[in-house]
Amino acid sequence: MNIPPVLIAVCFGLNWIIGFTGATHAAVDESLYLTQVKPLLAGRCYACHGALKQEAGLRLDTVELLEQGGGSGPALVAGSPEQSLILQRVATADVAERMPPEHEGETFSPAQVELLRRWIADGAARPAEEQPEPDPIQHWAFQSIVRPPVPVVTNQEWVRNPIDAFIAQRHEAAGLAPTPIAEPSILLRRLHLDLVGVPPDPQVAWQLRQSASTDWYNEMVEQLLADPRHGQRWARHWMDIWRYSDWWGLGEELRNSQKHLFHWRDWIVENVNRDRSYAEMLRLMLAADELKPLDQVDLRATGYLARNYYLFNRHPWMEETVEHFGKAMLGLTTNCAKCHDHKYDPLSQTDYYRLRAFFEPYHVRNDMVPGESRLSNNGIPRVYDGWLDVPTYRLIRGDEKQPDTSQVLGPGLPNFLSWEALQIAPVSLPPAAWQPDRHPWVLENHLRDAQQTLTQAQVELPKAEQATLAAQEHLSAITAKLGSEHESAGNERGDALVEEVAAPLIDDEFTALNSEQWQLLGGQWEHQPGVLLQNQDGPNHAALRWLGELPSDFDATLRFRIRGGSQWRSVGISFDESQVDPLGAATAEDSAQSVYVSAYSGGPKVQASYRQGAQWNYPGEAAVAKNIELDRSYELRLQVRGTLINVFLDQELVLTWRSPLARRAGFLQFTTFDALANIERIHVTKLPANIVLQESQTKELDRNTLVGAKWHADRAALESQFAHAKLRWAQAEVESVRQRGTAAQQMDAATTELRQALVESAVQAERAAELEAARLALIEVELRKFNAPNVTDELKQQLEQATARVQTAEQKLHETATSFTPLVGAKWSATRFLFSGKDDPTVEYPATSTGRRTALANWLVDPRHPLTARVAVNHLWNRHFGQPLVPTVFDFGRNGTPPTHPELLDWLAAELIESGWSMKHLHRLIVNSATYQMAAATSPERMSAGQAIDPDNHLYWRRPSGRMESQVVRDTLLELAGQLDDSLGGPPIPADQQAKSRRRSLYFFHSNNDRNLFLTSFDEASVLECYRREQSVVPQQALALANSELTHEVIPQIADRIIVMAKTVEPANGETVDVVSEAWVRSAFVVVLGRMCTDAELSRCQQAISQWHAQELEQGSLDTTGRSRKIVGNLIWVLLNHNDFVTVR
Amino acid sequence: MHRDQYPHRRQVLSGFAALAAAAMLQRDGWARSADERGRGAEIWQPPNGQPHFPARAKRVIWLFMNGGVSHMESFDPKPMLNKYAGKTIKETPYADVQDPAKLALERLAVPDANGNQRNELYPLQVGYQKYGQSGIEVSDWFPHIALNIDDISVVRSMWTTDSNHGAQTQFHSGRHMNDGSYPNLGAWVNYGLGSLNDNLPQYISFGNREYWNRRDGHYLGPAHDAVPLRVDPNQPLDFAKRPEGTSAESRKIGVELLRDLHQQQAVQTPDDNALSARIAAYELAFRMQQSIPEVFDFSQETEETRKLYGLDLPHCQAFGHQMLAARRLAERGVRFIQVQHGAGGAGSWDAHGALKSNHTSNALAVDQPIGALLTDLKRTGLLDDTLVVFATEFGRTPGSQGSDGRDHHIFGFSVWMAGGGVRGGTVHGSTDEIGFHAVEDRHYVTDIHATILHQLGLDSRRLEIPGRKRLEIDHGQVIRPILL
Repeated sequence: MNIPPVLIAVCFGLNWIIGFTGATHAAVDESLYLTQVKPLLAGRCYACHGALKQEAGLRLDTVELLEQGGGSGPALVAGSPEQSLILQRVATADVAERMPPEHEGETFSPAQVELLRRWIADGAARPAEEQPEPDPIQHWAFQSIVRPPVPVVTNQEWVRNPIDAFIAQRHEAAGLAPTPIAEPSILLRRLHLDLVGVPPDPQVAWQLRQSASTDWYNEMVEQLLADPRHGQRWARHWMDIWRYSDWWGLGEELRNSQKHLFHWRDWIVENVNRDRSYAEMLRLMLAADELKPLDQVDLRATGYLARNYYLFNRHPWMEETVEHFGKAMLGLTTNCAKCHDHKYDPLSQTDYYRLRAFFEPYHVRNDMVPGESRLSNNGIPRVYDGWLDVPTYRLIRGDEKQPDTSQVLGPGLPNFLSWEALQIAPVSLPPAAWQPDRHPWVLENHLRDAQQTLTQAQVELPKAEQATLAAQEHLSAITAKLGSEHESAGNERGDALVEEVAAPLIDDEFTALNSEQWQLLGGQWEHQPGVLLQNQDGPNHAALRWLGELPSDFDATLRFRIRGGSQWRSVGISFDESQVDPLGAATAEDSAQSVYVSAYSGGPKVQASYRQGAQWNYPGEAAVAKNIELDRSYELRLQVRGTLINVFLDQELVLTWRSPLARRAGFLQFTTFDALANIERIHVTKLPANIVLQESQTKELDRNTLVGAKWHADRAALESQFAHAKLRWAQAEVESVRQRGTAAQQMDAATTELRQALVESAVQAERAAELEAARLALIEVELRKFNAPNVTDELKQQLEQATARVQTAEQKLHETATSFTPLVGAKWSATRFLFSGKDDPTVEYPATSTGRRTALANWLVDPRHPLTARVAVNHLWNRHFGQPLVPTVFDFGRNGTPPTHPELLDWLAAELIESGWSMKHLHRLIVNSATYQMAAATSPERMSAGQAIDPDNHLYWRRPSGRMESQVVRDTLLELAGQLDDSLGGPPIPADQQAKSRRRSLYFFHSNNDRNLFLTSFDEASVLECYRREQSVVPQQALALANSELTHEVIPQIADRIIVMAKTVEPANGETVDVVSEAWVRSAFVVVLGRMCTDAELSRCQQAISQWHAQELEQGSLDTTGRSRKIVGNLIWVLLNHNDFVTVR
Repeated sequence: MHRDQYPHRRQVLSGFAALAAAAMLQRDGWARSADERGRGAEIWQPPNGQPHFPARAKRVIWLFMNGGVSHMESFDPKPMLNKYAGKTIKETPYADVQDPAKLALERLAVPDANGNQRNELYPLQVGYQKYGQSGIEVSDWFPHIALNIDDISVVRSMWTTDSNHGAQTQFHSGRHMNDGSYPNLGAWVNYGLGSLNDNLPQYISFGNREYWNRRDGHYLGPAHDAVPLRVDPNQPLDFAKRPEGTSAESRKIGVELLRDLHQQQAVQTPDDNALSARIAAYELAFRMQQSIPEVFDFSQETEETRKLYGLDLPHCQAFGHQMLAARRLAERGVRFIQVQHGAGGAGSWDAHGALKSNHTSNALAVDQPIGALLTDLKRTGLLDDTLVVFATEFGRTPGSQGSDGRDHHIFGFSVWMAGGGVRGGTVHGSTDEIGFHAVEDRHYVTDIHATILHQLGLDSRRLEIPGRKRLEIDHGQVIRPILL
């Protein structure tokens, strides 16, 4: 076919032109291969046909190897595209034949195929002596760390320690001169911000300027390294790398990480401060539960793994665990091997799943801490091997639905990182590690709770007895008055009449929430279309108040649904509410009436009640037992005429009641108490005149009658019995807790006989407590039965069950048994991955642990490990300089970027290992080096000389300057104001308390859901992954510093410090430092920016001060002092917004 | 995440990117030259703010209904649901929709009680009418949108793979929730094209998000996160308000002093890019303090316009404010305006029960404002180069959940687009007779992304950055039949 050249040019564009020029210049042909063909092959083919793998015996990493070919013969025949197999395979439309294979790489575009074709057609020009890819095992980062000799350099006087020799060697080779050492005030600020995360005391900075001792720097380094704030500062760095995150989920539901993870944060801070070996820290984070199973202090370290908890799906959990272990500690990206063999590193897909197998058995639990029995309030999140036998399978293409079950993969290491056979020994755990009830504080906590219940019961009993006595006296009095006369019951019921239709006063289905009609009081109300939700749990009142005027006689219907609630779960209708704020304190004159439905599990009912003053009365005869289900819609309807109330539930008349309380005008409210509830519909009309309400059926039980008095006396007697039973149960429970806890604790120390005796007493005490609990429950049902107007089948059934429980408990009392229920000392973080029920079961903790993570940890910190120390020193270096030695801090593999100073990296790594993995040793070395102490800028001539040679400062001819991290910005503002609270540890500060908090920023609640707005503006660490902090410059930062409340809150205090400083700067002027004075402006620069101002800055500031002054005079609103204060604030505002404030030079 | 993973923006973009870029130039020096050594087939080039090919649209207004809108009761009428109401799917002629091979799409993020197929067919809860010259049927819940149907192209054949609300993430990033965090579409557009207005951020979002991650830029860096705005004239932008007691006049003296102090320093250290970036950031910040409140000053609009958006109606006032602000932002050159409706929790459209009242009230909240937006964009000529997208994470089951709800449904659902070179008055693709599977011209969510990028003149593949692919294998196909 004869294709016009123009068309070819159009079709193949750039490639054609390159091809054309290539035809005329032989040298360019070779460059076509090097610049276009080879990179294309490297990107698409080398992973399978290169140094890493040779699929089908084929390598493509040199032209010679292409020509040599593989199993199917030569892949390339120079000059003959037709005979070149590679071209056929990348160009074919047959998916089965096409390379790269489906799912493993993108196919070649037509233009790329044509590029390859032309290069082959033109003779496949290649460079002479083309070298194949080196063996991946030979990659620099996979070689053992050998301490390199310290180079001898010419610029000896600049060298302070070996770091400088390595740096100077490169300076000298490149012809660079290092920038001079920075001036003391700059160094002082740099050192403070770096080592403790806050700026220096300005007084120190000033004194330093006056008379710096020769040793001041070294002394300051030692002082700061010993400062507890050092641990806070550097812990935050490691928290970035190790992905610290407080828990997050949907609303209150824990889905990710763990509650109380701050224990791990505190562990990091403490261990950085005590200079714990980095190796030991890694070991403990990975396997403290196996290495130190009883050490509550170090168990906190495993928060590192607990943080990866994910409620719903084990696969993402495991993936994150493997991925970030790889990135943070090994400096390798492993996650791509989840789906296929690694494209760059010699890590197969199977290797990946073998790595996962180390973590496969682990799970998370919360261990009880002394002083707090509720694990929702506190507890140590830690890991344990819970699923000892869960197999690890390779997932085909990483798809969790396609496990390759033909082979269970055990834990194992990739070959290129193995130097000896991995020893994995199961760890036999000490009993207290898997029986947390053996810890003394578990008994103490439970005992404290039981004793509180007992004290409560002891308080209640005399009250109940007194009430009984009063009721009996009342009965006696009435009996005496009336003799034995007895009024029998029998009230005629009125006929229900057809209702007259009345126009509704309210008919609201809450499609929208009409704020003119409704007022929400208390609780946590949430409106959704069609429903109003009350979401606050706990024994609190919440009310939806109608703002309209209620007629005296009315007919109100409330459709609602109770979703839950801690205990009482009541929803109802109140009327005649006199209080404007019903949640506030009531006066004696206040009153209200109410009818409510309670889904209390101890006795669901419909109850009419009334309030006089603050006292609510719940007459027994105004209660009707009703089974109220959760998550079901009900209609509660009241018809009220005068004091007569008819109550309907789902159209059934359930209660007629005449309130003893006179009616009065007041609010109509729909109320909840201790209930999570939905209000679905409200319908209210005036009660039509022709409706006749039914008179009270229980009139005969009026408290003024004999029957009523007897009823009350009987009930008081029953309540008294209940109080007695409760006391007995509380006493028995204390004993049960004591016996069980003691038995657990002494289980090892005792002889067999003693052990049996301990178990026997614990069993007996537990059974005695169960018997008392059963008896208490029975009385509780009887009391309910007493209160109910009629005995329902359900109530009968409950009575039978309660009676049976007592009988069973009595029988069991005499049986022998060998085990008792342990006290709860820990709770696992259940997942729905295995158990899809709403309430996951409690589990037992295994007595052994697999030892897999211990083996992994020991391998990781073996001095022979080529990566661990290199990765660590790179992180340390990066955070001192803002520029790492290996730019790809989490990828030291073949796809990473090689180090700028390989020998220095290795020398530091060797130094770390040989110092016993002391991080403070490394900090000391680094900050004492001349490299660290250089200025960021110097004379323009020297700057341009340096920039001409090394514009990006790879070779550290000057100090790289950077921006403060988000936490440092906030902490610095507070520190300058003398307001920073640098106390150590404790639970994170929740979002709603952060504005007022003066704690260091690392203590702020930090999760994917909750982040602090101010910190976020300054590139807060992403909780998902943060191996390096971003240092963006965006307008929101300007707005945050310019306008945040924080800025304006600290300005007055900073002003005070400046005045003090000014007196130091200009002692002669003593008391009369004026804001326009030179001393004041100079002091302001020293305090806020940590440096002296230039003369130009001084005069420009003074000019602005005069302008402000004139402005204030013109407005004339302030006196001299007020004026000064305002102007002072203005200037401080400017300095806080100055680039130098957030910059670390 | 650190800056080496972020793209290196040598070209000067305007707006936020420029500031971020300038700041990073110096500090990224080392990694930059490493990149330049090249790895992979093509030498990667950072975006220069220009489209890759001529664009039909300049900006996008992205309306996302969180929770899952029922396709059958919005834009894809299925009368067979009424005919077979109450029957199980197996009892109807459409039993084969539950063939396991056809159900293999699903990739559960969260195994729980939701996301099941529901077997008993549930009748349509709303009626339909034909609208416009095209006569496309739209449900009675969306009459205002329907009035603009001749400018709309409805895609009735969408499918996705996450049967839980992680599909929200999936719709925004093209990635399954379990794959990790990736920049969303708006971030890529922002990255690729930059701004048309130096006084405003180029990527803005309205509406809270809880279920999925709030960061939009992810590895592209925070400069590519949407700037969240609230329709609260008192505080549309965080930290934008000058504190009490600071007068504009004294602030002006302060700002001028700050500028001069920075300039003095800039003369000393001309190579300090962080300083020049910060100078520019302050300039934009102070401009934004003026420009953002101006955007929300609706008193500049006529009474007729305010009524058009329903600002006088309590049920749609909130969303009406957002739509009017969206138009005003579009006018002022903002590239990507992301509006989330009903976000928070699983999303307000998530009608597992009481679908009728749920969709009635949600539609009441959005229909008139969205209709107004389309009408207003059209009459001001902006619709020609503004692409409006109406989307949701998935549809709802043809079968009933409980007595009166519908469950999550990934196998077929609808989205629509209007303006920006989209052919109005068209229906593209279809689901089967009961709305179960997309059957004709099926489209995965990334096809929507591909179409949007195409209209903006961007090539999805050229938006990749070294070491990070926007998507692995499925960049999506441009839905050409709906384009002019």
